[in-house]
This record gives sequence, structure tokens and C-alpha cells, in this order.
Amino acid sequence: MRINAGNLKKGDFIHYQNEIWQVQKAEFYSPGKGSALMKTKIWNVKSGKNIDVTFKSVEEVEVVDVESRLMTFLYKDNENLYFMDEKTFNQYPVLLSSVSGLEKYLKEGDKLYVYIYDERPLSVRAPLSVRLKVVEAEEAVKGDTVSGAKKPVKLETGAVIMAPLFIKVGDVVIVNPETGEYTGREGK
Amino acid sequence: MKIVTKAENLDNHKKYIFILKLIDDFLQKKDYQKIDLPVLSPALIPESYLEVFETEFKFLDKKEKLYLTPSPELFLKRLLAYKIGNCYYLGKSFRNSDPPSSLHSFEFTMLEFYKVNADYMNIADEVLEMLRYINKKVKIHPPIRRAKIKSDLGLKINLDKWEKISVAEAFEKYTGIYEKELFNHQLFLEKAKKKGYQVEKFSYKDVWSQIYVQEIEPHLGKNGYPTLIYDYPKEFAALAKLNSDGQTAQRFEFYINGVELGDCYTELSDWKEQKDRFIKEYLERKQNKKINHPIDKGFIQALKYGFPESAGIAIGVERLAAVFLNLNSINELKVINIE
Repeated sequence: MRINAGNLKKGDFIHYQNEIWQVQKAEFYSPGKGSALMKTKIWNVKSGKNIDVTFKSVEEVEVVDVESRLMTFLYKDNENLYFMDEKTFNQYPVLLSSVSGLEKYLKEGDKLYVYIYDERPLSVRAPLSVRLKVVEAEEAVKGDTVSGAKKPVKLETGAVIMAPLFIKVGDVVIVNPETGEYTGREGK
Repeated sequence: MKIVTKAENLDNHKKYIFILKLIDDFLQKKDYQKIDLPVLSPALIPESYLEVFETEFKFLDKKEKLYLTPSPELFLKRLLAYKIGNCYYLGKSFRNSDPPSSLHSFEFTMLEFYKVNADYMNIADEVLEMLRYINKKVKIHPPIRRAKIKSDLGLKINLDKWEKISVAEAFEKYTGIYEKELFNHQLFLEKAKKKGYQVEKFSYKDVWSQIYVQEIEPHLGKNGYPTLIYDYPKEFAALAKLNSDGQTAQRFEFYINGVELGDCYTELSDWKEQKDRFIKEYLERKQNKKINHPIDKGFIQALKYGFPESAGIAIGVERLAAVFLNLNSINELKVINIE
């Protein structure tokens, strides 16, 4: 379907330079010289790259119908992450390059939305947060009360993040998988 | 749309009000006369790419259409023709059809000032001095210091001078489009097409402005100094005087951190040429199906009457304040906002 770029909104998928991109940001802009424009930030579903693109607001853009389907994460190899559609039991490989590091925070059995276009998997929608168990952490030194001080901890998926000093082995931490930032600890 | 109260922005709002005062102080110290003006007018300057707000005055069975002014230019220039000398307006202006964003609101505060016996580069000097004045005062004013404002401007942008770049130099540097292509519509559109832009069904102005925003604007005001980009193609002359080369106009815009803050012209004083441009803009408005407001003919009369050599600039004050206060959006300055 072709629409005017002025109608693009966050979340839309578009064809641009022979690739599929998702709109991350779309802002109308009237520069006071020439016609109105649509400034967008778009995300390449294959490479995971973000770029800024300015469209004329009345320029036509091809919007593609991408479906997001809830699937179970099975395993990964050097190239792909493998997901299963629980309704059809079909398996879908998703290129590692498209998930920008998200794989470091996934464990078997996690349920995620996979973007499907024309029965081909494009990428995975990153969850806002993931909960993971800490498997390695140094003991906090008593008396070390510098506020905001952090130490590296290893999570059950193998990822290493920076966490506050009070985090111990066995704690479940909440992490933003897009940035790898510690955002909290699960209450016991 | 709804009315949104944001009392939590009061601190920012106070600083914004303080910056308005600094602008008044600066210009009045330099003998610019402040003028209060109507915002409703029965006629406007035709501007092809702006949409206006239309309303109606009603009294018994009498009705008359009125329009909210998109800039105070038509009024201030009349006064200049009456030889009132250097003057300014600091108040609301209105532009329709632009959805609100982090940098734009359909109702906004504009500073427009004019200097007689001056050209655009004289205004550039004045603006830089004003920026320094605001920066100095914003830093030392106690409420602002107490609020621990991160004065990015003071740290990252040096206001000692402009980074001056002509439009032609900027196109060559940032887009690889050379001067001979820039001013020739056909060559320009061919080059744009090669670069991957849609050019079919679009005018030179449309494609030009798309490339400018996509490839040039992001670099402006980011090299340690505010950027002054000058001498736009004559197609963007609007009410500016042409240079002797015949292909560029004496217009500049200035940027800090990729954000356009002001637009300046050496004012066109030739009434015949102004009339021709009005007709062109009027026809373009019609073609673009914009609101068909009456043209301000009195403006042409005023030019005929004897318009002084002068230059003027329009500055978006909320944007300017947002830059000084290191905010992400002009909305963070507002305690009441229509969203």
C-alpha cells in the first residue's frame, strides 16, 4: 500500500531502497522554504541499523504489511536465532545481525514477538525488560558505600552487565535488553 | 486537542520569561523601539508554503474575514516606510497546518527586529552580540544558577564568532552538489535523482529543501560555533534583496546544534519587484490549495512611499530559550500547552 510520507507513524514498516525498515520516529517539519517534510528515523530489520531520512510530506512511500507473531525462542547458532510458532510448530530462523545484541539476554523458552513478512521472519521485537539470574558476582566489600558504584556481574545467559554493589549470586535482575542496562532487582 | 497543565515546568518557564526580558533589555539598550501589534489582520503577505488561521469578525449582519498573522512583517515594514527607525516586535505569531513537535507549535513567540541603513551581515553582528548578552546573563542570574542548569551552550558553543558558510559551499561540502548544478533546475533535479531522491512530480524548491534538511541541516551549529548559512538561491528570496550575481538572495539563517533559530533578509525595497513576487506567491498558494486570503496591497503602497534600506530578522524565541536552557523540546518551557 502506498501512502503519503506525511501519514507515516512510529511502528510502520516501509520499503525504502529495496529493503524493509521500521519507523522509529516520524516528525512533521516545515522548514519555511519549500514544501513540508517528514523527518524520520528508520530501523533496518535486517542489519539493525538506524538512519535518519527526510521525506517530502506528499511523497509516496510503500508501507508493507508486517505481522508480529508471538513465538518461543529455541536456540541459537553462529548465524541465526531459532523461534517456533506454537500454533503451527513451524520454525523460523532470524538473522543474528538483525537483533543488535538482544541474543545475549535471551534464554530458551522465552516468548517474543517475531516480525513476519510474506511468511519470512524479519526480526524480533525487543521486550522492554528481561529478568535474569545472576550466576557470578564479587562479594561487596564492607564499608564501600560510594553511592552509585557498580561492579560487573555475569547473568545466566552468559552476558555481563554492570550492577549495583549489593547484587549477589542468585539474585534476579531486571535488564533493558536494548541497552544492557541494569534497571532493578526482582523482590524476594 | 486538549488543554494540558504542566505546573512542573514552572522553573523552566521562569527562565524563559527571564530570557524574554533579556531580549527586551538588549534591544532597548540599543535603541530599538518596541512595537505592540495586532495579531488579527484582514490581509496578509502571500507566502506560498505557509498556511494561515482564518476567523471572522461578526457584528449584527456584518461579517468580515480576519487572519491570524504568521509574522509581524507586514506591520513593521509599513512603520519603517513611515521612518520610525529601528524597531522590533516580541510576541505571538501563528502558522496553521504544522502539527506540534519538539521544535514547532502552531502558535509561537517570535522576535522580529529591523535595522535601518543596514544589510543582513550587520544584523548578524547584532544577533551574535544578543546571544552573548543572553548567555552571560542566563549564567549569572541567581535563579538559573541555583537550578544547576547544564549550560551546554556556554560549554560547547563558543559565541566569539560565527561559523559562516554560504549555501553553495554547504551544498558542495555536505552533499557533493556543485554550484553549477545547484542553481540550474534541470541539472539539480538530475543530480538529486542520482542520489536516490524522488523528483518526478516535484518542484526544484521541494527537492532542494528535502536535500537541505536531510544532508545539510544536521551539520549546522555543531562545529563549536553557531553557524550562519547565507545567500540562498533566488527561488527562496521571499522578501529579500537579490545579490548582484542575480542567482542568490541576501538571506541567512542561523543554527545552533542543528536547530534553525532565525531567518534574516536584507529587505527588498523595490516595490515593482515585490509586487511581481507577491503575484507569483499568490498563484503558488492558489495552486497548492491554500486559504485564499486577500493580499496586503497597502504593503506595496508603503514600499512605493519610500522604504529605507534595511535588514531584519525573525527568531523563534521558544527554540532559542530551549537551546540556552539545554532542553529537548520547546514544550518543556510551557506551563499550559495545547496538545
